[in-house]
Amino acid sequence: MKLNLLASLFLLLACGILPVKAQNSTTPVPPEAWEAYKAAFVDQTGRVIDTANGSISHSESQGYGMLLAFLAGDRGGFERIWSFTRTELLIRDDGLVAWRWDPNSTPHVTDVNAASDGDLLISYALARAGRAWGHQPYLDSAQKIARAIGKALVIRDGNRLILLPGVTGFSVRDRKDGPILNLSYWIFETFPVMAQLAPETDWPTLSNTGLELLRQAQLGPAKLQPDWISAPAGGSVVAAEGFPAVFGYNSLRISLYLLRAGIRDTEILESYRRSWLVENGGSPAIVDIATGKVLEQLTDPGYRMLGASLACALDSAPIPVDLRRFEPTLYYPSTLFLLSWALVAERYPRCL
Amino acid sequence: MSLKRAALLVLLGGAVVPAIAQQIDLPGSSGTTPATGSNAATRAARAKVDETALRYFASQGDTRRLEAEIGRLRALYPDWSPPADLFGPQTDTELEHMWKLYTDGKYSDVRSAIAARQAADPSWDPPADLIARLDESETRRRLINASDASQWSTVLRLATDTPAVLTCQNIDLLWRVAEAFAKTEQMTRSIDAFTYILTNCNDTNERLATLQKAMPLLNDDQLKGLLALERKDAEGKPEFASLRDELIRRRMGAAAANPEFTVPDDDIKRMEALSKQSDAPGDPLLLGWYLFRHDEAARSLEWFKLALDRKGGPKSAEGYVLALNFLGRALEAEPIAYEWKDSAPENNKAYLDVVISLLTADPPPVLDEIVLSRFSPVVVRDKYVPGAQGLGWYAYNTGQIPTAQAWFQTALQWDPNDEPSAYGLALTYWRTQDMARLNTIVQTWGPRSERIVALVDPVVRARLEAQNLPNMALGSFTDPLVAAAARLTPPPMNTLGVMTPVQPAARGYVRTPTPQYLTPAPGVNPLVAPGTAVGPMSYAPTAQPQMAAQPFVQTPGLANQGFVPVPTAANQPVQRSYAAPAVTPVEYRQEVAAPAPRRRAATPRRASSSASAASSGGGGSAGSAVARGWRLMDLNRPIEAVREFDYAIKYGSAKDAEDAAYGKSLAYMRKGMTNAAQIASLEAPQNPRRSMQLTGDLLAQQALVAYKDERYVEALIALDERSRIAPEQQDLMMLRAWSYYNINDIQSANRIFKALAAQGNMDAQQGVNAVIGRNRRLGYY
Repeated sequence: MKLNLLASLFLLLACGILPVKAQNSTTPVPPEAWEAYKAAFVDQTGRVIDTANGSISHSESQGYGMLLAFLAGDRGGFERIWSFTRTELLIRDDGLVAWRWDPNSTPHVTDVNAASDGDLLISYALARAGRAWGHQPYLDSAQKIARAIGKALVIRDGNRLILLPGVTGFSVRDRKDGPILNLSYWIFETFPVMAQLAPETDWPTLSNTGLELLRQAQLGPAKLQPDWISAPAGGSVVAAEGFPAVFGYNSLRISLYLLRAGIRDTEILESYRRSWLVENGGSPAIVDIATGKVLEQLTDPGYRMLGASLACALDSAPIPVDLRRFEPTLYYPSTLFLLSWALVAERYPRCL
Repeated sequence: MSLKRAALLVLLGGAVVPAIAQQIDLPGSSGTTPATGSNAATRAARAKVDETALRYFASQGDTRRLEAEIGRLRALYPDWSPPADLFGPQTDTELEHMWKLYTDGKYSDVRSAIAARQAADPSWDPPADLIARLDESETRRRLINASDASQWSTVLRLATDTPAVLTCQNIDLLWRVAEAFAKTEQMTRSIDAFTYILTNCNDTNERLATLQKAMPLLNDDQLKGLLALERKDAEGKPEFASLRDELIRRRMGAAAANPEFTVPDDDIKRMEALSKQSDAPGDPLLLGWYLFRHDEAARSLEWFKLALDRKGGPKSAEGYVLALNFLGRALEAEPIAYEWKDSAPENNKAYLDVVISLLTADPPPVLDEIVLSRFSPVVVRDKYVPGAQGLGWYAYNTGQIPTAQAWFQTALQWDPNDEPSAYGLALTYWRTQDMARLNTIVQTWGPRSERIVALVDPVVRARLEAQNLPNMALGSFTDPLVAAAARLTPPPMNTLGVMTPVQPAARGYVRTPTPQYLTPAPGVNPLVAPGTAVGPMSYAPTAQPQMAAQPFVQTPGLANQGFVPVPTAANQPVQRSYAAPAVTPVEYRQEVAAPAPRRRAATPRRASSSASAASSGGGGSAGSAVARGWRLMDLNRPIEAVREFDYAIKYGSAKDAEDAAYGKSLAYMRKGMTNAAQIASLEAPQNPRRSMQLTGDLLAQQALVAYKDERYVEALIALDERSRIAPEQQDLMMLRAWSYYNINDIQSANRIFKALAAQGNMDAQQGVNAVIGRNRRLGYY
């Protein structure tokens, strides 16, 4: 029996598939899985590569990379990714991170606008790493970015405190139907940390606004949030013009963010359960907001892992066997896989 | 050597650090004084000299870097000397690897290795020197990234945080810092940074490049200080010599864009020389624009031409076209303008301007058909109202009344509020005596256009006339004779200001001191100058019988056709009752001994063979019918000639019909049947030159007839219309003056009388006397 297990393990390794051994790991992201992720998506300079997107990098990928490196306890890897992030992207006058870096352009930064989820992730990862590893420079940098987010991206709009997706292009000043928001940029687990780093900003209220908007944005027959919404002060929330009116690759990570933050809001989570677990066999799907129809089922293990972790959190369902090993596919679902794994490992170890 | 150089660079680094850091920290301080000893704290921290890099380079046998490092450490620690066991074995292989990664530029790898080792061995600290160098290297990259993304505050913050990078060795960073200062409106500091470079950095190419970097950021005055730091090479040649021309170009370019600025003549001379030296279009093009925008269109022409010949592209063509047009050579400009019209919006505009200035030129030129035929599709395509209007005026001024009507109507279709087109249309109705349509236009436009109303309302006309004259006096044409010749046709409202044939940016590209309006050829014709009209008057409104007998030849279409005004004693102005000045001062009779009909180039030569051939009438070829018509005209039998001409119009070729229609209208004119003549002239399309002449004649005739019938306003309108086409000569000016007199516009009448009298015109003196007498009777004196 034991021999058998070892043999199959060996076989898996030989095939390049790394089983996730959460039980034995002391870190939420197993080091072997993280090494596989790094080998697939992180280059020597510390750039985290979006393989499905022209091999560009962005503040989000760098932030995810840093958070995963921290969750895997990889100080060397964390420092490598941070070095690239700081040198190449942390160049904005306002202290925020430029969001887009293209290896095929000179200069590489092709859009100097900021994206709030990238900044939140980077600041959050720095803060957690700095605290865990007792490294003050990380905490200093985390604080500077947190303050810059609070100053430039958290704004009052009407009676609401909102998180703009970027510094330019989304506010009421920039668009008639503004503000345009992306609710999947509200990474709830970061807000308590931001509150410690930059207490001058009212992060708890921002968090509450996010939850309120998530309820208001349950649109269409499927009651799912469009990736991009127009949320005018005093008006009703609608899918934003100029963006596909779908529950898509952005919004599908909202459940992960809520659960990672320990928010078990049944009203919000229920619509994901219905769409993913009841109607689509455990997989998230891209759903047309107006009709509630499924446009595309997402079967990559990374996406299925979102469904599995939701089932685990709501129903204590064990993670299916085929999702207990990590094989890098594309950057985005692979990232979601490891973050989901860390969620289950940290909060719901009973599902493993 | 390299050791020395490295030491120098480090010292320079030490000097610039406080210089620039001070500037950042202390706003308002000029802060160029190199501070000394401000690195004291750093030095204290490095009391124990870090030799790890030194040992690494030694172990690698990298003597270049080793020497540099020794020099660097000596500069930092004057008391230090290299250790004796430099080439001994390195004990820390991990650290050695880190240095290797560092020298390979793999900074992320070094960072990663340091962090990994610290994780494994919390007691280990990386060498401060390695960290300092990593910081500097990363800062270099980050500063460049920030600068590339125009994040100037970040550039300046990084320079402040890591001033050690600001050395001549990193001159690119110094440039970027200088730029960041300039971009954040800190010009003094920007100049300080450039000054620092030119004072301290010695690489010849980099020094030149420094000035090139400064040029787009600083103005001429600011650059002056930097140019003063110029050095001379071994041969005594100033190092920035090659930039002088660049500076001239820049000055000239700025002055070409903003004509308020000028450049010294030396600059112009230099640019002329440069333009001739090379075969590139850039310099002559720049020169052309500069000259053109500084009132030297004639000089600019040659340079635009040169640029165009050197394939200087649309801007060259645009300049050349504008200059030609400005110089009144629109006919030459038109083909070039047409060729380039689609290459840029400016070229299209230049083309439209050129053609419009052709169409509205005074006097109207006879345009090649191709000019019109390729212009009209453009006008129609663009629904270009001023173009349609311009075509309307051209047709109108060349006597193509139906064509003019069509264009004015088209213009009004596109823009129902285009007053000049409405006015043009009204004039065409007036010309064809289509009173119904004329009145309709007057009804529609009455509230908006007084000059349209003036076509039917003498009171309005007199008022406009009175308003108009003072305006003329303010203009450049102060000659009394010219002012006297000014008639109605006030400039339209300036709704078409943008459509003037003037390039607005071109200063001095204004031919008159008043704005250029798109109007019929202005009545003020500078060609009518004192002394132009000479000889005996053909028109004498006073009782001067001897004058009437005098031969006269001035007014084509009048004199040559033998219309002689014969004043009668009964109509002498002195006898006129002031209460009822409705007198007919002239009478026209046909001169028996009329001069031979004038012949025009376009008129077929007629054989002066036999009268029998002429009188045979009807039948035969249309060509011979035309010939017979002319023969009958020679015999002063115009009514019979009409018959011949009619035959040719009906059966002849287009050419015959044209000649015949012309002959027919002349024949009617001979009989004083102006309306019939007008209609006849429209029976076949006339070539523009002949048509213009005919129109002029017809209008003069109409004016005379109208005057005779005591329809003075109509006489004035006819005179106005005629003077669009040809200068008004003294006989017609007298007719005009008497018309004014008869509508009680004594002021206008007197102005003309006086002006003509001043030229020695005795008849005009009579007019002056008449005015005086009238005023006396009215008790004005």
